Amino acid sequence: MTWTKWSYMDHWVTETPQGPQPPSFNRAYMDRYVKQLSALGFTGFDTFFFYLHMLGGMYGSVPGFERFLQDNGFEKITGIFSAYPSATRYTAPHVRETHDRIVADCTNTLRTCEGLTGVENFIVMPTSTYWQTEPVTDDTIKVVADLWNRVGKLTLEHGMTTTCHFEFWGAIRTRPQLELFFEYTDPEYVYFFCDTAQHTIAGVDPIQMFRDYRDRCTGFHFKDTKNVDEHEAYRTPPDPELMAPHVTRWFYEMGEGGLVDFPALMKEIVASGYDGWLTVEHDKAELGGGSYAEATAVAKWYIDNVLAEAEAEARRGLESVR
Amino acid sequence: MKDTLRWAYALNQWNVRLDVFVRHEDQQRALKTVSACGFDTIELASGTGRWDNISRPEVILLNHGSHSGFLDFLRRARVQGVSSMFWDPQAPAEEEEGYAFRSTANPDDHDAIVEWAKPFVDFLAGVGAEQLVVRPVGSAWMSPPLGADGIKVIGDVWNRIGELTSAAGLGLALHYDCLGAVHTTEELTGLLEATDPATVGLALDTAEFTIGGIDPVAYYREHADRVTHVHLKDTRYADTGEEYRMPGAESTMLKGGAGRRIERWFYELGTEDGLVDVPGFVAALRERDFPGWVVIESDHGGNPAELAMLNSWYLQHELGVAK
Repeated sequence: MTWTKWSYMDHWVTETPQGPQPPSFNRAYMDRYVKQLSALGFTGFDTFFFYLHMLGGMYGSVPGFERFLQDNGFEKITGIFSAYPSATRYTAPHVRETHDRIVADCTNTLRTCEGLTGVENFIVMPTSTYWQTEPVTDDTIKVVADLWNRVGKLTLEHGMTTTCHFEFWGAIRTRPQLELFFEYTDPEYVYFFCDTAQHTIAGVDPIQMFRDYRDRCTGFHFKDTKNVDEHEAYRTPPDPELMAPHVTRWFYEMGEGGLVDFPALMKEIVASGYDGWLTVEHDKAELGGGSYAEATAVAKWYIDNVLAEAEAEARRGLESVR
Repeated sequence: MKDTLRWAYALNQWNVRLDVFVRHEDQQRALKTVSACGFDTIELASGTGRWDNISRPEVILLNHGSHSGFLDFLRRARVQGVSSMFWDPQAPAEEEEGYAFRSTANPDDHDAIVEWAKPFVDFLAGVGAEQLVVRPVGSAWMSPPLGADGIKVIGDVWNRIGELTSAAGLGLALHYDCLGAVHTTEELTGLLEATDPATVGLALDTAEFTIGGIDPVAYYREHADRVTHVHLKDTRYADTGEEYRMPGAESTMLKGGAGRRIERWFYELGTEDGLVDVPGFVAALRERDFPGWVVIESDHGGNPAELAMLNSWYLQHELGVAK
């Protein structure tokens, strides 16, 4: 048996007559994008909350877009990503007074997803940037946890799991901070989404995180990095992903000599009995002349060859134990 | 691709300029892209010089040590082999007497062109490929009309090279293109008649035929016994104004420098308003149990990875070919 639940997180940029643009440039580009993911064999699609209205306009409705995905071999929209990377006076997860607004935003997003086959993950960035949030105290983490407990209860009522995707530049980034956050959040309402590159950059072992929080893990972003943040880049205002002085490109596709041990993670996933979606994400793949299209194809090649072998090896190991 | 037809993918789309497809890691990424799209066999295209290390036989061998070394390089990306290689003896190459600019239309050039063919024949035999795919004649704008005698002259040199390829266990396939001096249906059929069916076949390129005003489906049905190789791609335009006769047609026509100013002629399968009846053509291949390679080619297009994935999508979803 080979893992079939591979989804793709929508970050693409493609060439258009108006220069490099997201495939949402127009319907024809979006159609071509979906067909390309389909050709490689992806069957799940994750996207950002802020794309939902545009997709609805382009395909008649968000379920209309999902039907186009399904016509091309996809099972469904699997995850919706919601985030407040920049803290504002309206929305800042570490500011309790903004929580009602954030909950209202999440309610609107959930409403936009009505009629879909069954989005599984409501993926959230639990905090804004570190530099806007610091000092990060236990109380700060408690305030943030309270917000996502509320949102988690809400999304569960709509059949979606609130699952937290941590950034290396977010306010909750170290292992002790992560542990405290999960201690403060209700395991029934708040789950863990493992972005392999983000944790590695922050100096956290993503495989150990998965091992320790297996029961709360509901998804992954399989992406790689070649750097651990050794110069406190996470504190760079206003944005460490593109403005860190020592590292110009943080994220890479699998199989390009990065730091994440994906075969080991794959074996750990199989051994654990996890049976959810595995998501490929490319973020800023165009930096240095790269192409999202090629990065996606190369990553899928890695899945079909290297990870498939790791998976098979893990399954053989499980069989031999039985 | 799991099918009764044998599918391969042409790498030429990646090698779009002199010095952009040289590093082995870049070539590995292209090969992995092709593999991820479901193709395990590739077609190479000839080039020249030290940067054409996946195009020029001598330079490939210099880079990889041997034929098996090159195959090992391909297999690292799970690409199992080479179906074919394209060669245009009219294209200037430093390895061919230092850019000698010879022509198959000139009998005095034939001995040299036969010599030039030998590295390709040896290389293709060494890597287990099946077809040497060649441009039989230069562009129409560069020479006076050929006439029957001129076509016979061209046939003569390809018959000689056909003997070489045949002796090496290879096929030789003449690739019609929309700029070539052999342009009309009658001229093309005349060229086939001037060559030995036992050693010389036709490489039918669906887009080139369509641009040149020849219906690929009808021509295939009529000459299936001579078609030994296929390039499958689409186009949105036919050359209805004889733009191929414009001076510098490689640029004035194919890059939109003049005439109707069409800057891109070749398109991926399934393109909007494509003129090629791809399902009809593939059905005709199936009716005849076409035994050769069907090479998907996306040259002179856009992002090569995007086009490879779109071509793969078309095969899987429109032609029902399992990946």
